Amino acid sequence: MFDTIIIGAGPAGLSAAGILQEKQKVLVLDEYFHAGGRLLGQLYEEKKGKWWNGLEIARKLVSDTQDKTEIRLSTSVYDVELDDTYTVHTTSGTFRSRHLIIATGSREKSNPLPEWDLPGVMTVGAAQVLTNFSRVRPGDKGVIVGINPLSMVIAMELGYADIDVAKICLPPENLLSTQKPEDAFETLVSLGHSAPSRFISTGAGLAGKAKPIHPAALKLFPKNGIRAMGLPISIKEKIIRINGTEKVESVTVQKTDSKGKPLNGKTREVKCDFVCISDGLAPLSEIGSLLNLKHVYAESLGGYVPLHSEMMETELPNLYVAGNVTGIENAKVAMYQGQLAAHKILGDEDAAMRSLSAITHERKNAKVKFHKDLLQGRETVETMWREIEKRKAE
Amino acid sequence: MTDRIMNHKILGTIQPELVPFRWNGEIIHGAEGESLAAALLANGIRTLRRHEKDGKPRGIYCNIGHCSECRVTVNGERNQRACLTPVEKGMDVEQQTELPHLVKGDDAHV
Repeated sequence: MFDTIIIGAGPAGLSAAGILQEKQKVLVLDEYFHAGGRLLGQLYEEKKGKWWNGLEIARKLVSDTQDKTEIRLSTSVYDVELDDTYTVHTTSGTFRSRHLIIATGSREKSNPLPEWDLPGVMTVGAAQVLTNFSRVRPGDKGVIVGINPLSMVIAMELGYADIDVAKICLPPENLLSTQKPEDAFETLVSLGHSAPSRFISTGAGLAGKAKPIHPAALKLFPKNGIRAMGLPISIKEKIIRINGTEKVESVTVQKTDSKGKPLNGKTREVKCDFVCISDGLAPLSEIGSLLNLKHVYAESLGGYVPLHSEMMETELPNLYVAGNVTGIENAKVAMYQGQLAAHKILGDEDAAMRSLSAITHERKNAKVKFHKDLLQGRETVETMWREIEKRKAE
Repeated sequence: MTDRIMNHKILGTIQPELVPFRWNGEIIHGAEGESLAAALLANGIRTLRRHEKDGKPRGIYCNIGHCSECRVTVNGERNQRACLTPVEKGMDVEQQTELPHLVKGDDAHV
């Protein structure tokens, strides 16, 4: 019997373990063969010369926990039951605990497009893990389908490893994917402060924070794209198919107008040996579903998240959530959320409040923001939580 | 080319310990403890599996255990995800191929 089981050895799970282990018997479970979750592979410049190196941070979190916490890797959780305690069924056996923290993180979403099952087509996250964690090149020349903060950051990471990114474009328009040039433009503008590009700064000036984006800014956007942050970004081109027989050989690019409407006859092939598909991240909330938690849909959080309070509590006793399962944000927020959940479990309200302030502070100052309406999404969840609490009290 | 990134301008230099393992009976090398998916790619192998139904090539997709596109047979055990399986010295890894069609016969694939 454990005091607390934590599902997920990423930034949230390991940060929680680091605090709980001082007073509790803790078990951390993870399906990957290496602890660290998606910290493994993260690499970006926070300030000039100051790098966020996820691999190093993961190493530190592991060295802080490996002596006192039991960490079981290569272990998948396939069921969780609650009676007096939590029973966690895994591929390495069944474990019980009084408290449970769901810190399962997120998965990547994908826009399907013709021939996306060819070898050489992968998620941007796959390319990131290969490049920065496995240190194996995903290929020599890649094309990225999808313009969002994650794909932009990873495109830069490929550059640090001298892997050529030939193009970053939008996906084809279909039922699943409706991203228009203006959405991509908005993403670029939101990254504008870190983008040493005159065009984007100008665009940011034209568009400001107002919606809709100034049409002139979009019309002015060069039809062959621009180079910003060293990246060949093109918001008026869509990758409409991937070509190759045994593996990726090229992609077909379609030019569009500033509304995303294809221009007749304007297609061309771009040679490449790998393609990354990116449509952002979605919380991995299966464990919450197994426990019948209510879920809230918020696009700005990445999709469905288990209903929870800002103190990481859920509707069930002794069940907490932390990290990207609560909504897509950066690893620092995940770490603070893990700490917050741990303080709540230990009943240390003061420390929990300090973690909450740290989260608020980080949200304001995050260099990489995954969604511009994040705070609105958080508010939706918090409002619903309060309503349900109120109903319970009545 | 799908070489290893030995020198990285920010992450520094690595010197992986290479160990032999078998891919479809042939001896190749991987870094001990890295994922099979990475080791095979470092050997220029992108096709990890042939689709059960039509034999089309499939490779790494998500690389974190969610999509199951990278399934291979490891030491006789089928459907092991190459991205979640660390390389071990002497490991026997085989590509899975299309399956016989039970209703229409071996050579009729739809």
